[in-house]
Amino acid sequence: MSRLFAALAAVALIAIPAAPALSQSRPNAQAFARLPDWSGAWTRDTGGFYESTPAQAKDPAPAPTSPRLIPPFTPKFKAIFEDNLRRIAADRYPDPISTCGTPAGWPRLLATPDAYEFVIRPEQSWILSENGPNIARIYTDGRKHPPADELWETYTGSSVGRWEGDTLVFNTVGLKGVGSTILGRQGVVMSDKLMVDTKIRLIEPDRLLITMVLTDPEALTKPWPIAFTFKRLPKDTTVWDYACAENNRNPITDAGQTLTLDPSGKVMDLKTEGQVR
Amino acid sequence: MKSALPLALVLAAACAPPSLAHHSTAMFDFTKSMTLTGTIKELQWTNPHAWVQVIADGKEYSLECGSPNTMSRQGWKRNTVKPGDPVTVMMRPMKDGTPAGMLVSILLKDGRTLGAGVTPGPPPPIAAAPK
Repeated sequence: MSRLFAALAAVALIAIPAAPALSQSRPNAQAFARLPDWSGAWTRDTGGFYESTPAQAKDPAPAPTSPRLIPPFTPKFKAIFEDNLRRIAADRYPDPISTCGTPAGWPRLLATPDAYEFVIRPEQSWILSENGPNIARIYTDGRKHPPADELWETYTGSSVGRWEGDTLVFNTVGLKGVGSTILGRQGVVMSDKLMVDTKIRLIEPDRLLITMVLTDPEALTKPWPIAFTFKRLPKDTTVWDYACAENNRNPITDAGQTLTLDPSGKVMDLKTEGQVR
Repeated sequence: MKSALPLALVLAAACAPPSLAHHSTAMFDFTKSMTLTGTIKELQWTNPHAWVQVIADGKEYSLECGSPNTMSRQGWKRNTVKPGDPVTVMMRPMKDGTPAGMLVSILLKDGRTLGAGVTPGPPPPIAAAPK
Protein backbone atom coordinates (compact mmCIF):
# COMPACT_ATOMS: atom_id res chain seq x y z
CA MET A 1 0.00 0.00 0.00
CA SER A 2 2.74 2.40 0.96
CA ARG A 3 4.54 1.56 -2.27
CA LEU A 4 1.36 2.32 -4.21
CA PHE A 5 1.03 5.64 -2.43
CA ALA A 6 4.65 6.48 -3.15
CA ALA A 7 4.13 5.66 -6.82
CA LEU A 8 1.02 7.80 -7.00
CA ALA A 9 2.80 10.64 -5.25
CA ALA A 10 5.67 10.40 -7.69
CA VAL A 11 3.27 10.50 -10.61
CA ALA A 12 1.53 13.50 -9.06
CA LEU A 13 4.81 15.35 -8.59
CA ILE A 14 5.70 14.77 -12.20
CA ALA A 15 2.27 15.63 -13.49
CA ILE A 16 1.49 18.73 -11.45
CA PRO A 17 4.06 21.10 -12.96
CA ALA A 18 2.95 20.21 -16.47
CA ALA A 19 -0.75 20.49 -15.78
CA PRO A 20 -1.25 24.25 -16.28
CA ALA A 21 0.47 24.26 -19.66
CA LEU A 22 -1.49 21.23 -20.86
CA SER A 23 -4.81 22.64 -19.76
CA GLN A 24 -4.10 25.86 -21.65
CA SER A 25 -3.19 24.10 -24.87
CA ARG A 26 -5.93 21.51 -24.93
CA PRO A 27 -9.11 22.40 -26.81
CA ASN A 28 -12.22 22.30 -24.71
CA ALA A 29 -15.29 20.12 -25.16
CA GLN A 30 -17.16 22.87 -27.03
CA ALA A 31 -14.39 23.02 -29.63
CA PHE A 32 -14.71 19.29 -30.23
CA ALA A 33 -18.51 19.55 -30.38
CA ARG A 34 -18.27 22.06 -33.24
CA LEU A 35 -16.34 19.63 -35.45
CA PRO A 36 -18.21 18.01 -38.34
CA ASP A 37 -18.49 14.24 -38.68
CA TRP A 38 -15.77 13.12 -41.08
CA SER A 39 -15.42 9.72 -39.44
CA GLY A 40 -14.95 6.45 -41.24
CA ALA A 41 -13.14 5.61 -44.46
CA TRP A 42 -13.38 7.55 -47.69
CA THR A 43 -12.46 7.20 -51.33
CA ARG A 44 -12.29 9.58 -54.25
CA ASP A 45 -15.36 9.60 -56.42
CA THR A 46 -13.88 11.75 -59.13
CA GLY A 47 -10.80 10.95 -61.12
CA GLY A 48 -7.43 12.60 -61.25
CA PHE A 49 -6.79 16.30 -61.01
CA TYR A 50 -7.45 16.70 -64.72
CA GLU A 51 -11.07 15.66 -64.47
CA SER A 52 -11.68 17.83 -61.44
CA THR A 53 -13.88 20.82 -61.78
CA PRO A 54 -16.12 22.26 -59.13
CA ALA A 55 -19.11 21.55 -61.40
CA GLN A 56 -18.27 17.88 -61.68
CA ALA A 57 -17.60 17.81 -57.98
CA LYS A 58 -21.23 18.79 -57.35
CA ASP A 59 -20.35 21.97 -55.58
CA PRO A 60 -23.64 23.66 -54.75
CA ALA A 61 -21.89 26.98 -54.26
CA PRO A 62 -21.42 29.25 -57.23
CA ALA A 63 -18.02 28.48 -58.59
CA PRO A 64 -16.26 29.50 -61.71
CA THR A 65 -15.67 26.51 -63.63
CA SER A 66 -14.68 25.41 -66.92
CA PRO A 67 -12.97 22.19 -67.65
CA ARG A 68 -9.37 22.81 -66.88
CA LEU A 69 -7.63 19.84 -68.35
CA ILE A 70 -4.37 21.71 -68.69
CA PRO A 71 -3.09 24.08 -66.00
CA PRO A 72 -2.20 27.63 -67.09
CA PHE A 73 1.48 26.85 -67.43
CA THR A 74 4.27 29.31 -67.96
CA PRO A 75 6.30 28.57 -71.11
CA LYS A 76 9.03 26.88 -69.06
CA PHE A 77 6.62 24.52 -67.30
CA LYS A 78 4.59 23.91 -70.44
CA ALA A 79 7.77 22.60 -71.99
CA ILE A 80 8.39 20.40 -68.94
CA PHE A 81 4.81 19.13 -69.16
CA GLU A 82 5.10 18.30 -72.85
CA ASP A 83 8.36 16.49 -72.25
CA ASN A 84 6.73 14.54 -69.42
CA LEU A 85 3.84 13.53 -71.68
CA ARG A 86 6.27 12.18 -74.26
CA ARG A 87 8.16 10.29 -71.56
CA ILE A 88 4.91 8.85 -70.19
CA ALA A 89 3.82 7.68 -73.64
CA ALA A 90 7.22 6.04 -74.14
CA ASP A 91 7.30 4.51 -70.63
CA ARG A 92 10.34 6.58 -69.71
CA TYR A 93 8.83 8.74 -66.97
CA PRO A 94 10.67 8.21 -63.69
CA ASP A 95 7.79 8.62 -61.28
CA PRO A 96 9.35 8.91 -57.81
CA ILE A 97 6.56 7.06 -56.00
CA SER A 98 7.17 3.95 -58.11
CA THR A 99 10.34 3.29 -56.14
CA CYS A 100 8.20 2.41 -53.10
CA GLY A 101 10.16 4.75 -50.85
CA THR A 102 8.98 8.23 -51.69
CA PRO A 103 5.74 9.81 -50.49
CA ALA A 104 3.23 11.08 -53.00
CA GLY A 105 3.38 14.48 -51.31
CA TRP A 106 0.95 17.36 -51.38
CA PRO A 107 -1.46 17.58 -53.07
CA ARG A 108 -0.88 14.31 -54.96
CA LEU A 109 -1.58 12.16 -51.91
CA LEU A 110 -5.26 12.96 -52.50
CA ALA A 111 -5.18 11.21 -55.90
CA THR A 112 -4.69 7.56 -55.00
CA PRO A 113 -7.28 4.82 -55.64
CA ASP A 114 -7.36 3.35 -52.14
CA ALA A 115 -9.04 4.48 -48.90
CA TYR A 116 -8.59 7.64 -46.86
CA GLU A 117 -9.23 8.77 -43.32
CA PHE A 118 -9.73 12.35 -42.19
CA VAL A 119 -8.82 12.56 -38.52
CA ILE A 120 -9.85 15.92 -37.17
CA ARG A 121 -9.32 17.74 -33.92
CA PRO A 122 -9.73 21.44 -33.16
CA GLU A 123 -5.98 22.07 -33.09
CA GLN A 124 -4.70 19.60 -35.67
CA SER A 125 -5.98 17.27 -38.37
CA TRP A 126 -4.46 14.41 -40.32
CA ILE A 127 -5.29 13.08 -43.76
CA LEU A 128 -4.20 9.45 -43.91
CA SER A 129 -4.03 7.68 -47.24
CA GLU A 130 -4.05 3.91 -47.24
CA ASN A 131 -2.00 3.91 -50.43
CA GLY A 132 1.58 4.93 -49.85
CA PRO A 133 0.85 5.26 -47.02
CA ASN A 134 0.92 9.05 -46.86
CA ILE A 135 0.13 11.47 -44.08
CA ALA A 136 -0.74 15.15 -44.33
CA ARG A 137 -0.55 17.01 -41.02
CA ILE A 138 -2.56 20.21 -40.80
CA TYR A 139 -2.05 22.50 -37.82
CA THR A 140 -4.99 24.65 -36.78
CA ASP A 141 -3.72 25.74 -33.37
CA GLY A 142 -2.91 29.26 -34.48
CA ARG A 143 0.69 28.66 -35.47
CA LYS A 144 2.22 30.17 -38.58
CA HIS A 145 4.45 28.44 -41.10
CA PRO A 146 8.01 28.09 -39.82
CA PRO A 147 10.26 31.04 -40.68
CA ALA A 148 12.23 30.72 -43.90
CA ASP A 149 15.39 29.51 -42.21
CA GLU A 150 13.47 26.73 -40.44
CA LEU A 151 11.38 25.61 -43.40
CA TRP A 152 13.02 23.21 -45.80
CA GLU A 153 11.35 21.72 -48.83
CA THR A 154 9.61 18.41 -48.25
CA TYR A 155 7.21 16.24 -50.24
CA THR A 156 4.20 17.15 -48.12
CA GLY A 157 5.29 20.63 -47.01
CA SER A 158 3.98 22.69 -44.13
CA SER A 159 0.21 23.08 -43.70
CA VAL A 160 -1.36 25.57 -41.30
CA GLY A 161 -4.87 26.92 -41.15
CA ARG A 162 -8.07 27.18 -39.19
CA TRP A 163 -11.62 25.98 -38.88
CA GLU A 164 -14.18 28.32 -40.44
CA GLY A 165 -17.41 26.83 -39.14
CA ASP A 166 -17.56 23.35 -40.58
CA THR A 167 -14.84 24.01 -43.16
CA LEU A 168 -11.18 23.16 -42.72
CA VAL A 169 -9.17 25.92 -44.39
CA PHE A 170 -5.41 25.69 -44.74
CA ASN A 171 -2.39 26.81 -46.68
CA THR A 172 0.50 24.59 -47.74
CA VAL A 173 4.02 25.72 -48.65
CA GLY A 174 7.52 24.29 -48.43
CA LEU A 175 7.17 21.75 -51.25
CA LYS A 176 10.08 20.27 -53.15
CA GLY A 177 9.21 21.27 -56.70
CA VAL A 178 10.19 19.79 -60.06
CA GLY A 179 10.87 16.08 -59.94
CA SER A 180 9.00 15.70 -56.67
CA THR A 181 5.90 17.90 -56.62
CA ILE A 182 3.79 15.96 -59.08
CA LEU A 183 0.01 16.00 -59.27
CA GLY A 184 -0.44 12.57 -60.78
CA ARG A 185 0.92 10.34 -63.47
CA GLN A 186 -0.23 12.73 -66.17
CA GLY A 187 2.94 14.82 -66.17
CA VAL A 188 1.81 17.90 -64.23
CA VAL A 189 4.62 19.18 -62.04
CA MET A 190 4.98 22.37 -60.04
CA SER A 191 7.92 24.35 -58.72
CA ASP A 192 9.17 24.78 -55.18
CA LYS A 193 7.29 28.12 -55.17
CA LEU A 194 3.97 26.29 -55.17
CA MET A 195 1.44 27.40 -52.59
CA VAL A 196 -1.81 25.49 -52.16
CA ASP A 197 -4.90 26.94 -50.48
CA THR A 198 -7.29 24.15 -49.56
CA LYS A 199 -10.83 24.03 -48.20
CA ILE A 200 -12.55 20.83 -47.10
CA ARG A 201 -16.19 20.52 -46.06
CA LEU A 202 -19.13 18.17 -46.19
CA ILE A 203 -21.58 18.96 -48.98
CA GLU A 204 -23.72 15.89 -48.36
CA PRO A 205 -23.83 13.58 -45.34
CA ASP A 206 -21.39 11.20 -47.02
CA ARG A 207 -19.58 13.44 -49.49
CA LEU A 208 -16.63 15.75 -48.87
CA LEU A 209 -15.78 18.54 -51.26
CA ILE A 210 -12.15 19.55 -51.50
CA THR A 211 -11.39 22.76 -53.34
CA MET A 212 -7.88 24.01 -53.97
CA VAL A 213 -6.24 26.99 -55.52
CA LEU A 214 -2.71 26.35 -56.69
CA THR A 215 -0.52 29.42 -56.96
CA ASP A 216 2.96 29.09 -58.40
CA PRO A 217 4.74 32.11 -59.91
CA GLU A 218 7.26 29.87 -61.68
CA ALA A 219 4.95 27.19 -63.06
CA LEU A 220 1.62 28.98 -63.53
CA THR A 221 0.61 32.23 -65.19
CA LYS A 222 -2.38 32.56 -62.86
CA PRO A 223 -3.87 30.69 -59.89
CA TRP A 224 -5.32 27.31 -60.85
CA PRO A 225 -8.53 26.32 -59.03
CA ILE A 226 -9.40 22.65 -58.84
CA ALA A 227 -11.97 20.65 -56.92
CA PHE A 228 -12.90 17.06 -56.31
CA THR A 229 -15.01 15.00 -53.96
CA PHE A 230 -14.62 12.02 -51.70
CA LYS A 231 -17.43 9.64 -50.80
CA ARG A 232 -17.74 7.84 -47.50
CA LEU A 233 -17.25 4.09 -47.71
CA PRO A 234 -19.57 1.66 -45.88
CA LYS A 235 -19.40 1.94 -42.12
CA ASP A 236 -17.68 -1.42 -41.62
CA THR A 237 -14.84 -0.63 -44.05
CA THR A 238 -11.41 -1.52 -42.69
CA VAL A 239 -8.40 0.46 -43.84
CA TRP A 240 -5.48 -1.87 -44.38
CA ASP A 241 -1.73 -1.91 -44.53
CA TYR A 242 -0.18 -1.01 -47.87
CA ALA A 243 3.44 -2.07 -48.05
CA CYS A 244 4.62 -0.95 -51.46
CA ALA A 245 7.86 -2.93 -51.30
CA GLU A 246 6.21 -6.17 -50.12
CA ASN A 247 6.00 -7.78 -53.55
CA ASN A 248 6.93 -5.07 -56.00
CA ARG A 249 7.12 -6.80 -59.37
CA ASN A 250 7.39 -3.48 -61.21
CA PRO A 251 10.82 -2.00 -60.49
CA ILE A 252 11.86 1.20 -62.28
CA THR A 253 15.08 1.65 -64.21
CA ASP A 254 17.17 4.80 -64.10
CA ALA A 255 15.94 5.43 -67.65
CA GLY A 256 12.38 5.65 -66.30
CA GLN A 257 11.14 2.33 -67.68
CA THR A 258 8.69 0.30 -65.59
CA LEU A 259 9.64 -3.37 -65.75
CA THR A 260 7.47 -6.41 -65.17
CA LEU A 261 8.91 -9.35 -63.26
CA ASP A 262 7.72 -12.93 -63.33
CA PRO A 263 7.02 -14.69 -60.00
CA SER A 264 10.67 -15.75 -59.73
CA GLY A 265 11.88 -12.16 -60.11
CA LYS A 266 13.07 -12.49 -63.70
CA VAL A 267 12.46 -9.50 -66.01
CA MET A 268 9.74 -10.36 -68.54
CA ASP A 269 10.03 -7.31 -70.83
CA LEU A 270 11.65 -8.03 -74.17
CA LYS A 271 13.45 -4.68 -74.31
CA THR A 272 14.84 -2.86 -71.33
CA GLU A 273 16.77 0.36 -70.90
CA GLY A 274 18.83 1.36 -67.88
CA GLN A 275 19.49 -0.24 -64.57
CA VAL A 276 16.95 -0.90 -61.83
CA ARG A 277 16.99 2.01 -59.36
CA MET B 1 4.56 30.89 -82.90
CA LYS B 2 1.96 28.32 -82.05
CA SER B 3 1.58 27.84 -78.36
CA ALA B 4 -1.08 25.16 -78.17
CA LEU B 5 -0.06 21.83 -76.74
CA PRO B 6 0.12 19.03 -79.28
CA LEU B 7 -3.41 17.65 -79.55
CA ALA B 8 -2.31 14.06 -79.31
CA LEU B 9 -0.50 14.75 -76.06
CA VAL B 10 -3.46 16.57 -74.58
CA LEU B 11 -5.81 13.76 -75.53
CA ALA B 12 -3.38 11.24 -74.13
CA ALA B 13 -3.39 13.09 -70.84
CA ALA B 14 -7.15 13.59 -70.74
CA CYS B 15 -7.88 9.99 -71.66
CA ALA B 16 -5.26 8.38 -69.47
CA PRO B 17 -5.95 4.73 -68.70
CA PRO B 18 -6.87 3.68 -65.18
CA SER B 19 -4.01 4.14 -62.82
CA LEU B 20 -2.44 1.32 -60.88
CA ALA B 21 -1.38 4.05 -58.45
CA HIS B 22 2.13 2.97 -57.84
CA HIS B 23 3.56 2.70 -61.34
CA SER B 24 3.05 3.53 -65.01
CA THR B 25 0.70 1.45 -67.13
CA ALA B 26 2.56 2.29 -70.34
CA MET B 27 3.56 -1.36 -70.85
CA PHE B 28 -0.07 -2.41 -71.34
CA ASP B 29 -1.94 -2.12 -74.63
CA PHE B 30 -5.22 -0.43 -73.75
CA THR B 31 -6.46 -0.75 -77.32
CA LYS B 32 -6.68 -4.52 -76.92
CA SER B 33 -8.63 -6.90 -74.69
CA MET B 34 -7.37 -10.47 -74.50
CA THR B 35 -9.58 -13.24 -73.11
CA LEU B 36 -7.94 -16.41 -71.82
CA THR B 37 -9.46 -19.60 -70.47
CA GLY B 38 -7.20 -21.62 -68.25
CA THR B 39 -6.44 -22.64 -64.68
CA ILE B 40 -5.15 -20.79 -61.68
CA LYS B 41 -1.56 -21.51 -60.73
CA GLU B 42 -1.27 -19.01 -57.90
CA LEU B 43 -2.81 -15.91 -56.36
CA GLN B 44 -0.24 -13.56 -54.85
CA TRP B 45 -2.35 -11.64 -52.33
CA THR B 46 0.22 -8.92 -51.76
CA ASN B 47 0.86 -5.20 -52.02
CA PRO B 48 1.43 -3.04 -53.91
CA HIS B 49 -0.43 -5.27 -56.37
CA ALA B 50 -1.98 -8.68 -56.21
CA TRP B 51 -1.05 -11.02 -59.06
CA VAL B 52 -3.07 -13.85 -60.58
CA GLN B 53 -0.89 -16.46 -62.26
CA VAL B 54 -2.90 -18.33 -64.91
CA ILE B 55 -1.87 -21.29 -67.06
CA ALA B 56 -3.44 -20.97 -70.51
CA ASP B 57 -2.40 -21.97 -74.01
CA GLY B 58 0.59 -23.81 -72.55
CA LYS B 59 2.01 -20.63 -70.98
CA GLU B 60 1.98 -19.01 -67.57
CA TYR B 61 0.47 -15.53 -67.64
CA SER B 62 1.20 -12.93 -64.93
CA LEU B 63 -1.93 -10.83 -64.47
CA GLU B 64 -1.53 -7.67 -62.44
CA CYS B 65 -4.39 -6.47 -60.25
CA GLY B 66 -5.02 -3.55 -57.90
CA SER B 67 -4.09 -3.87 -54.25
CA PRO B 68 -5.66 -6.46 -51.93
CA ASN B 69 -7.21 -3.42 -50.25
CA THR B 70 -9.13 -2.27 -53.34
CA MET B 71 -9.88 -5.84 -54.42
CA SER B 72 -11.36 -6.77 -51.06
CA ARG B 73 -13.82 -3.88 -51.50
CA GLN B 74 -14.87 -5.40 -54.84
CA GLY B 75 -15.72 -8.81 -53.44
CA TRP B 76 -12.37 -10.60 -53.42
CA LYS B 77 -11.16 -12.74 -50.56
CA ARG B 78 -7.66 -14.16 -50.23
CA ASN B 79 -9.03 -17.59 -51.20
CA THR B 80 -11.37 -16.49 -54.00
CA VAL B 81 -9.24 -18.51 -56.41
CA LYS B 82 -7.18 -21.59 -55.63
CA PRO B 83 -4.56 -23.47 -57.65
CA GLY B 84 -6.28 -25.59 -60.27
CA ASP B 85 -9.48 -23.54 -60.41
CA PRO B 86 -10.81 -23.06 -63.95
CA VAL B 87 -11.17 -19.38 -64.87
CA THR B 88 -11.69 -17.10 -67.80
CA VAL B 89 -9.92 -13.78 -67.63
CA MET B 90 -10.08 -10.61 -69.65
CA MET B 91 -6.95 -8.49 -69.62
CA ARG B 92 -5.05 -5.69 -71.28
CA PRO B 93 -2.03 -7.48 -72.70
CA MET B 94 1.57 -6.34 -72.66
CA LYS B 95 2.53 -4.36 -75.76
CA ASP B 96 5.58 -6.52 -76.36
CA GLY B 97 3.62 -9.76 -76.39
CA THR B 98 5.10 -11.25 -73.25
CA PRO B 99 2.61 -13.41 -71.33
CA ALA B 100 1.43 -10.79 -68.86
CA GLY B 101 -1.14 -8.04 -68.62
CA MET B 102 -3.43 -5.95 -66.48
CA LEU B 103 -6.40 -8.00 -65.28
CA VAL B 104 -9.75 -6.35 -66.02
CA SER B 105 -12.32 -9.08 -65.24
CA ILE B 106 -12.24 -12.66 -64.04
CA LEU B 107 -15.04 -15.23 -64.44
CA LEU B 108 -14.92 -17.69 -61.56
CA LYS B 109 -16.04 -21.30 -61.47
CA ASP B 110 -19.05 -20.33 -59.35
CA GLY B 111 -20.24 -18.03 -62.14
CA ARG B 112 -19.33 -14.74 -60.52
CA THR B 113 -17.42 -12.10 -62.42
CA LEU B 114 -15.11 -9.84 -60.44
CA GLY B 115 -13.07 -6.81 -61.34
CA ALA B 116 -9.46 -6.48 -60.34
CA GLY B 117 -9.54 -3.51 -57.99
CA VAL B 118 -8.09 -1.22 -60.64
CA THR B 119 -11.16 0.71 -61.67
CA PRO B 120 -14.28 1.49 -59.62
CA GLY B 121 -17.68 0.14 -60.54
CA PRO B 122 -18.85 -3.23 -61.80
CA PRO B 123 -16.46 -5.33 -63.89
CA PRO B 124 -16.92 -5.65 -67.64
CA PRO B 125 -18.70 -8.95 -68.33
CA ILE B 126 -16.92 -11.94 -69.86
CA ALA B 127 -18.99 -13.99 -72.28
CA ALA B 128 -17.11 -17.27 -72.35
CA ALA B 129 -17.60 -19.84 -69.61
CA PRO B 130 -14.68 -21.61 -67.93
CA LYS B 131 -13.92 -25.00 -69.43
